[in-house]
Amino acid sequence: MDFITEYFLSNLLTILILLPAFGALSVIGHQMFWKSEDKLKWITLFWTLLNFVVSLVLIFDKGAAQASGFFFEKNIPWIKAINTNYHVGVDGLSLWLVILTTLIMPIAIVSTWHAVEKRSAAFYVFLLLLESAMLGVFVSLDLLVFYLFFEASLVPMFFLIGIWGGENRIYAAVKFFVYTALGSLLMLAAIIGLYYLQATAAGIGSFDYVVLLDSMKAGNLVLGVQTGTLLFFAFALAFAIKVPLFPFHTWLPDAHTEAPTAGSVILAAVMLKMGTYGLMRFNFTLFPDASREFAWLFITLAVIGIIYGALVAMVQPDIKRLVAYSSVSHMGFVILGMFSFTEQGMQGALYQMLNHGISTGALFLLVGFLYERRHTRAITEFGGIAGVMPLFATFFVFTSMSSIGLPFLNGFVGEFLIMLGMWNSTVLDITDTVNWNYVATMLAGTGVIFAAVYLLWMIQRVFFGKITNPKNKRLLDLSWREIGLIAPLLFLMVFMGVYPRPFLDASRKSVVAVQERVLGQTSKTVAETNANH
Amino acid sequence: MTENNYLSLIIFAPLLGAVINWIVGKRLRSELFSGVIACSAVGVSTVVAFMIAFYDQGGALFAPEGKPILDQLWTWIQVGNFRADFGLGMDRLSGIYACFVTFVGLLIHVFATGYMHGDKSFYRFFAYLNLFMFSMLTLILADNFLLMFVGWEGVGLCSYLLIGYYIKRDEARRAAKKAFVANRIGDWGVLMGVFLIFTLTGSLSFFDKTVDGIQVQSSLNLLAAMAADPFTWGAIVAGGITSIAVLLFIGATGKSAQIPLFTWLPDAMAGPTPVSALIHAATMVTAGIYLVVRCNGLFQNAPTAMFIVAVIGAATAIFAATIGLAQNDIKKVLAYSTVSQLGYMFLACGVGAFIAAIFHVMTHAFFKALLFLGSGSVIHGMHHEQDMRRMGNLKKYMPITFITMAMGWLAICGIPIWAGFFSKDEILYKTFAATNATADATMFGIHVNTILWLVGLLTAVLTAVYMTRLMWMTFFGESRFDYVLPVVENPHKASRAEENSFATGDAHDAVATHHGHAPDDDLHGGHNADDHDDDDEHHEHLTADFKPHESPWVMTVPLIILAILSTVGGLIGVPYAMSSLVGAGDVNAFEHVLEPIIYKKSGAAHGTNEHAKVVEKNEVKNFYASAPASKTAEHATDGEHAAHSPEEISEERWLALLSVILALAGIGIGIAMFGKTPLRAMPKILEEKWRVDEVYNGYIVDPLTRLSRNGLWRGIDVGFIDGIVNGIGYFVAALGSVARSVQVGFVRSYAAFILFGALIVIGYFIYYGFKLIG
Repeated sequence: MDFITEYFLSNLLTILILLPAFGALSVIGHQMFWKSEDKLKWITLFWTLLNFVVSLVLIFDKGAAQASGFFFEKNIPWIKAINTNYHVGVDGLSLWLVILTTLIMPIAIVSTWHAVEKRSAAFYVFLLLLESAMLGVFVSLDLLVFYLFFEASLVPMFFLIGIWGGENRIYAAVKFFVYTALGSLLMLAAIIGLYYLQATAAGIGSFDYVVLLDSMKAGNLVLGVQTGTLLFFAFALAFAIKVPLFPFHTWLPDAHTEAPTAGSVILAAVMLKMGTYGLMRFNFTLFPDASREFAWLFITLAVIGIIYGALVAMVQPDIKRLVAYSSVSHMGFVILGMFSFTEQGMQGALYQMLNHGISTGALFLLVGFLYERRHTRAITEFGGIAGVMPLFATFFVFTSMSSIGLPFLNGFVGEFLIMLGMWNSTVLDITDTVNWNYVATMLAGTGVIFAAVYLLWMIQRVFFGKITNPKNKRLLDLSWREIGLIAPLLFLMVFMGVYPRPFLDASRKSVVAVQERVLGQTSKTVAETNANH
Repeated sequence: MTENNYLSLIIFAPLLGAVINWIVGKRLRSELFSGVIACSAVGVSTVVAFMIAFYDQGGALFAPEGKPILDQLWTWIQVGNFRADFGLGMDRLSGIYACFVTFVGLLIHVFATGYMHGDKSFYRFFAYLNLFMFSMLTLILADNFLLMFVGWEGVGLCSYLLIGYYIKRDEARRAAKKAFVANRIGDWGVLMGVFLIFTLTGSLSFFDKTVDGIQVQSSLNLLAAMAADPFTWGAIVAGGITSIAVLLFIGATGKSAQIPLFTWLPDAMAGPTPVSALIHAATMVTAGIYLVVRCNGLFQNAPTAMFIVAVIGAATAIFAATIGLAQNDIKKVLAYSTVSQLGYMFLACGVGAFIAAIFHVMTHAFFKALLFLGSGSVIHGMHHEQDMRRMGNLKKYMPITFITMAMGWLAICGIPIWAGFFSKDEILYKTFAATNATADATMFGIHVNTILWLVGLLTAVLTAVYMTRLMWMTFFGESRFDYVLPVVENPHKASRAEENSFATGDAHDAVATHHGHAPDDDLHGGHNADDHDDDDEHHEHLTADFKPHESPWVMTVPLIILAILSTVGGLIGVPYAMSSLVGAGDVNAFEHVLEPIIYKKSGAAHGTNEHAKVVEKNEVKNFYASAPASKTAEHATDGEHAAHSPEEISEERWLALLSVILALAGIGIGIAMFGKTPLRAMPKILEEKWRVDEVYNGYIVDPLTRLSRNGLWRGIDVGFIDGIVNGIGYFVAALGSVARSVQVGFVRSYAAFILFGALIVIGYFIYYGFKLIG
């Protein structure tokens, strides 16, 4: 037994990646032998739930809180000719994102319990493959392997939107694919560039993130200013499109609106985080100088995105598109916090990634429930829904409050830490008359006001008042399946808002390590800087 | 440091009540159950609050040096050197607040069980009301800025839920959103202020305390110990103490409905009347004053901010009073009156009379809750008629309501011995006699403080006039129950305009939201059961022989208790100048209790030796005889001289006499104007509330919406950025078809484009890499 346990634990991340892929095979197999589609969703649900349970083992390992390094690490040679390894591991940065992924997947699957009518086998296969790819992104430590997973996650999503999407699905799917693939190709080029630079510096090239980082820290691999900047932007563009950062965001509303509910939920909850995760993991540590140098640019774009996304969300006639634009605004906060290079800001950014995943994921779920009933998402089609669907209205208002950032719900903790971090940051200029860090925070803070405006205005028109559209008179309130789907997310909203410490403690060491690296300081000086603010 | 773990019971009892009502009450649908749960939850809070404030361990109100009683629950957020605890603390200030909030809250809960009788969502109402009590008490008892902010936003949420309680009413849902957004604008200020406090002091705690063996310093003490900012406009944006004070005050204007964010409060009257009494008169709206007084050490160091507070307060007081003159909805009059009275309280804060402000908060809580509940009783008896033009002679039908409301009327007008007289008069006197940094500033050759005082006096007259108008229209004269209201274009034009502005370019939406009676809306036939759910306050057309009825005892008993408090409640804070008239000596207990929480800046003289002695006596009486008490006494004695000089006492008496005469004159004017002609037409601009809503909508909301829709969304997003993206796609597709003269799909051409681009870039990097190697 010990042997099995040990094997299981030492290969945990690989198991996490492979389980959904294996599930996809089982779906195909079932389809081939039984030619029946009605069991497929149960099979898919089984695999994703199993994966969730397995991923929980990560929490109970004490590694994350204690060390800034990686744990559950696995490093085996893959293609010897180009010295690329299958190297995986988690740390405080990726731990919660892995668990968020495995949590969201079963929810996404049950959300489309009755909605997928055509080619359901393919639908579930794509979902499972998507999970494998996303988990791969968060745990791979070899840049080439990371890139492969990053690209691989595009394909299932492309088909999910393109086949099971709404009316304008082809346009949306292609736009999504082109935007994101274009960005990541540059990143591939940069990865290859790094390989050659390492080859020059150390005699043998490497794609391994840890090797490259150590080589840089040891002073072997030194990037010139120009090279560093070039590589930084090659990486950053890929991630900025994924986030999406203004002005690379226009794929998002289309993709979200056209995607089936499961697709929207996964896209919002997990896939957008691949961008912010990548920036924090790779850009900050591999190119710290360029990260500092161009922080002003990202902060500016983040602030624009926060306000712009909120204002555009305000005037959307379609509920789903409104939520999509709100994502642009919320993800702007994440970028803002990261580039503040303060412990509060970066921790807040990491926390806000989870919060956005849960709250916006839940909002897309709820919009999906409404869409299944009425097959429209136009705000004008509704009004007075609270009268016939009181429970649904309650949950919607609750989730919106989390998204608005009401204290004691999760969103507040993240947004507060982000703004506090930005406020106390020294990234932007501090002149005699103006502290631009204050200005950035104050502008970003208006996004919190606008969030209340667009969500409450939508709620007012959709839920309150008298029922004016006779089609809404017979709407059924939430079923037990739907309540069961949303309940864990509601619970997390409260729990993470009231007691965020376990989450923040687990990621602390890793975040501080990134902060040290990007500020180019030793741990002692960083600690002092943190203390002196 | 004193711990008392029962403190958390004060906030968690109502939370538990809310949860029980939400889960169990929903199933039982029993008014008795929901009412008992909600009232006993608040009852528990009340008992515990009074126990801790007055009795336990000597009572928080009498603790030496104003030391708080603390209750640390858990560390909420800790990142780096930032920490915010879930910790509660009751000192003298929060003790007074906790006592009157729980007590008035309890009375209003009891009243509401009668008022809401027959409502379909009885349980929901009481769940929200209990949730509000939880938030409000968290706001008051929090021991740090961040937890206070939790309550601060929490009361905003509950206010939103309760204003929008009648969810089917258009004006209710609009008012709810408006209230939340206006509060949010203010909250932005609080949040930024909190950031700056943390930057300057490294702490957000209110009190010095030890948590988990770590010493946490009080940010308030640190701020109070800093050097005062100069009195300049530049200090506002200097990022120092004045900036903090101004940012926090922005929050206060949102929560306490001051210029420019006051417009939400009158609209908030769309909620049930007990809500108006509890949230929008007695408790929540005074949170702004609590914040300012809590930070009085900070504000005293920021004379510019103090000046702004005083001016905004005085301006709001008179501005709202003029609007209150011309309203016909009984609740609207009271709403504007609340805005006006809150202005008084800020005026007091602005001139440094923090204790007077809190005193007025408390007396106002009594008499305004009384007036609102009285109006609720009237509305209840009139079958949900709120328009005073259709009332009259109600004293005949509702004697208890009439007598109790008359007590409130005398109190708010400032007639001696009624509570409002002492508190309002103290504010006016302190304004007149203020010795703050702005005392030397002049405007038109008159001292600024004199101008503020004159504005305050004028407001007092106006208050008496509009309140008398309200009393006469409601209770005297002939009954006008069948009076046909003149056709007004649209009573909610402003809010409709707002709705319109959002909906421009979305004609369909405009139709759907505006006309409750779309053609297919079967308004008369086929009522769904749930159609009745929420609009219990529907209007009926009353007939001339309609007989209003007096309200049941659950409603009249709270009225009577509040009427007694409004009558004698002011006696706990009688200033020396008054009490010495009847030879009672110094009996201003209220001031003595609060004195230790007001930071003493050198140069600003407060109190006297006499005070110090009384403070000492109090301390001795209250079990803390030894060293700390005498220290307090010394503290109070420091640098103080004869504030009770004979000249000042006589000055205060003359001024008091003047304001009484003016109040009586106001009542006289009111009777003269409206006694015989209760329906006298008022200036249109006042009836239209100075058209502030229209200005906001026309100059802020509309342009912003149009910019967002046509400029940002259709222009930049869809037009510009997507235009480029699609243009590239189109270009490549065209290129592809020319090059290969084969029909290619978009996907393939995009793919080709990607490949092409990637090859160039990869090629460049390889070339670059080789160049580096070579």
